[in-house]
Amino acid sequence: MPHKLSEIISWPEQREKAKSYFDSYGWPDNRNEAWKYTSLAHLQEAEFTATSSSVPSKTSPADLEGLSVQISGNMVQLPPKDAIPAGISITDITTDDGARAAAFTYLADNHLLPALSAMHQTSAIAIDIEKTDSASPLPAVIISLTGSSKDGACYPFVVVRVHKGAEARIAELHSSDAGLSCPLMVYEVADDAKLHHIRLQTEASHTTHLGLNQMQMGKNSQINSFAISMGGALSRLETHSLFHGTDAELAQSAIYLGRDRQHHDITSFVAHEMRDCASRQLIRGVLDDKARGVFQGKVRVAPDAQKTDGQQMSRALLLSRDAEADAKPELEIFADDVVCSHGATVGELDENLMFYLKSRGIAEDDARNMLIDAFLVDTLDEIEDPDFAAFMTSQINRWSLARR
Amino acid sequence: MNLLEIKNLHASIGDTKILHGIDLTINRGEVHAIMGPNGSGKSTLSYVLSGRDGYEVTEGEILLDGESVLEMEADERARAGMFLAFQYPVELPGVTGMSFLRAAVNARRREAGEDEVDQLEFVKLVRAAAADLGVDNEMLKRAVNVGFSGGEKKRYEILQMALLKPSLAVLDETDSGLDVDALKIVSDGVNAQRGDDCGMLVITHYQRLLSHIVPDFVHILAGGRIIKSGDKSLALEVEENGYAGLVNAA
Repeated sequence: MPHKLSEIISWPEQREKAKSYFDSYGWPDNRNEAWKYTSLAHLQEAEFTATSSSVPSKTSPADLEGLSVQISGNMVQLPPKDAIPAGISITDITTDDGARAAAFTYLADNHLLPALSAMHQTSAIAIDIEKTDSASPLPAVIISLTGSSKDGACYPFVVVRVHKGAEARIAELHSSDAGLSCPLMVYEVADDAKLHHIRLQTEASHTTHLGLNQMQMGKNSQINSFAISMGGALSRLETHSLFHGTDAELAQSAIYLGRDRQHHDITSFVAHEMRDCASRQLIRGVLDDKARGVFQGKVRVAPDAQKTDGQQMSRALLLSRDAEADAKPELEIFADDVVCSHGATVGELDENLMFYLKSRGIAEDDARNMLIDAFLVDTLDEIEDPDFAAFMTSQINRWSLARR
Repeated sequence: MNLLEIKNLHASIGDTKILHGIDLTINRGEVHAIMGPNGSGKSTLSYVLSGRDGYEVTEGEILLDGESVLEMEADERARAGMFLAFQYPVELPGVTGMSFLRAAVNARRREAGEDEVDQLEFVKLVRAAAADLGVDNEMLKRAVNVGFSGGEKKRYEILQMALLKPSLAVLDETDSGLDVDALKIVSDGVNAQRGDDCGMLVITHYQRLLSHIVPDFVHILAGGRIIKSGDKSLALEVEENGYAGLVNAA
């Protein structure tokens, strides 16, 4: 497994550290560089109770097949033991401080989102995927995260360990109604292992969503990850991706879709620590009405990470004069033999393309919709797993139809 | 009734006046060529006809089948039977050829009160038209114009024209960027659509296109005006002597 960033400290100690961090810094606002475009000042006055929701329903989303794991507030519903095939184990570690502490030490200190999780964690699950001898692939694990109380907060913690040589398919479906939703997901992908990952955020229009996805990659490992954020009042998805072994490949793309006064923030940090690794990120946002989109993407290439191939491209499409997009791409390169590029654009629909479509008799609204769909569809090709690709495409289509 | 009637057309982009009073009448079955030096207003005329934003008609009238099109948006004009083959067709990443062509054809059909064409029937229709123009299946599967060569883009324009069956086709510098073989394919495609139902306005700088698409009338545009009209021999005269003599005489 990847090397640890810090020593394991006990869970009570971890919690104390988090509390003292939060007591010193509190909720960040625009004066904090990492939160320059996404202030959490509105949470200063808010008071949330940890939600204790009823046992979630066992139904998994109809259009995605797999093993269903349900987390609703502090309630956890795992699939029946006999439904879980060899190679997969799913454990509720909510009350297992040793297991929680062990999984948690991979996270960087002095950071708001892990601190919130350590302070308030409402549930914790560990999923282990091992290589099997079976020729048939393992089923996808579908993690549904809900919580239903406007003045409540959820702090679920999920660690997914894809062991050496294994191939895992994990879907995260965030559809909480809580006032505050702070899911922390840790993915440890061991040497020669592969993770297919999708993340869909369709939370309630009053929800503040602060999600952190931590990805750790071993030697010769691969991650193919795709996220869509379309719900919530204010939503931030942070991804921290760390290469711990050579020859690993990360494909990590995201779409955010904003309307009304929604605020979507995608903040990504890719740390190339080892040589011969590749990262490829495509970020697309569509913003209508008074919505605001933020993309912050940092790629850091350590001195030893020679032959790194790091690509990042973010594009935002503004459909209204009142919509706004901010982009802050950053490359920090300390190695001299690398191929890295990044770019960020913000624009409206191209008038030349609109005229071309209209000159063929296609009405203004239809032409707009064709171009918006085209802008998004392009990125969906990044999803390797066909079931995941079909599911995410159907979500985009649903959003697209609802817009009209 | 005349298919197209342009009367005393003046047009500007911003504060710059480009067209200074153009009169031109096209009937069904006729092919008119507009020739002129660079900057004479040829492309502006094509955009003004097709209703591109940013081009303002300050005086005059454009009638299609006796109806003024000046208040019509570009898409309405297209559905009324107008087609512009672009000098520089744009790329549409993420828009697949088939969905684009079908949206265009169905928009035109709805306007005419006809049923929309179903998917299977449409594929057959497109494949047949595409084969004539040397547009292969691979091109049809790709996003519109993305990664197409100059010649492929022009053939794709003519394919759209064949599917949309316009009553007025405006071809803007359709020969630019074409080698001899591609020019022949494109010209054959255009000629196949000549007939009593369709009038054409072929805009070109050079005579060479007009030896493939032989016009009934040739007009010389210079300084935003038509300074001379004639038959196909006028194009040969330009080929021989250039524009300078004509422009100076006008």
